[in-house]
Amino acid sequence: MIDPIHQFNIDKIFTIGHIGNQEIAFTNSSAYMFISVALISLLMIGAGRQLVPGRFQSMAEISYEFVANTIRSSAGSEGMKFFPLVFSLFMFIMVSNMIGIIPYTFTVSSHIIVTASLALLVFFTVLVYGFYKNGLKFFKLFVPSGIPIAILPLVVLIEIISFLSRPISHSVRLFANMLAGHITLKVFASFVTMLGAMGVVGWAGAILPLGLTVALTALELLVAFLQAYVFTILTCIYINDAIHPGH
Amino acid sequence: MARGFRLSSELIAGVVVGAVIGWGIDRLLSTSPWGLIVFFLLGFVAGVINVMRSAGVAPDRTGR
Repeated sequence: MIDPIHQFNIDKIFTIGHIGNQEIAFTNSSAYMFISVALISLLMIGAGRQLVPGRFQSMAEISYEFVANTIRSSAGSEGMKFFPLVFSLFMFIMVSNMIGIIPYTFTVSSHIIVTASLALLVFFTVLVYGFYKNGLKFFKLFVPSGIPIAILPLVVLIEIISFLSRPISHSVRLFANMLAGHITLKVFASFVTMLGAMGVVGWAGAILPLGLTVALTALELLVAFLQAYVFTILTCIYINDAIHPGH
Repeated sequence: MARGFRLSSELIAGVVVGAVIGWGIDRLLSTSPWGLIVFFLLGFVAGVINVMRSAGVAPDRTGR
């Protein structure tokens, strides 16, 4: 009955079609992705354009300013070219995380395939734009200046491995935080029901996990925003490397 | 918790990528097990550098 992993189940809602023998299904994960995109569109498109902003328009403007400032401070004003990508990533991750906090919902970013595809999107954007913008000078990214020639090959190898490991750490960070947070929340919540079944002594004991669950929910709310922000700021740092390789 | 995940994922990512590259080189060039050994160690070094950069101990690549 009490299964903290159950919340991450992927359930098929209906089948879209087949590619080869592989079924392409519309799952609860896709449904929640659609919900987050719909909410973002509602916020950004339906915000209105009054001179004196109302509540929703303020929210839209604050999120715009927030992401724009993040990009300007870490990738410079040249990075604003990537504003649509970075803003979509930030809003998608944040809104889907926020939806995931609500009980009985599904957290899209608690599956590594979702975060990995987002991280790979950033990775390949950086690669393609870096080579498009800088040509072969992009390889300067792997050659730090001021290194003696004798150990240069070793350093370049290490830098290349460090570069290739970026999408992994980029995606695992978001995924692990969401997964661990939601499991912790479920485990503590299940203590409440377990202790509550033990009678009056249990009810007294259940107060502690209940309080912790409330506190953890608040913490998860912070983590949901913070991880979206961390994902965004790392994206900006990587894009900065594509714009200015080797300083 | 967030900081722990950040640093550990950096380290693990470096080691995993190094090991995968080494394993791939072994598969292609049949140099087993030398590619895996060498690249596993290089990956460990890259992971440690990642952690130091992410913790702010070592200067960032971009020099900011």
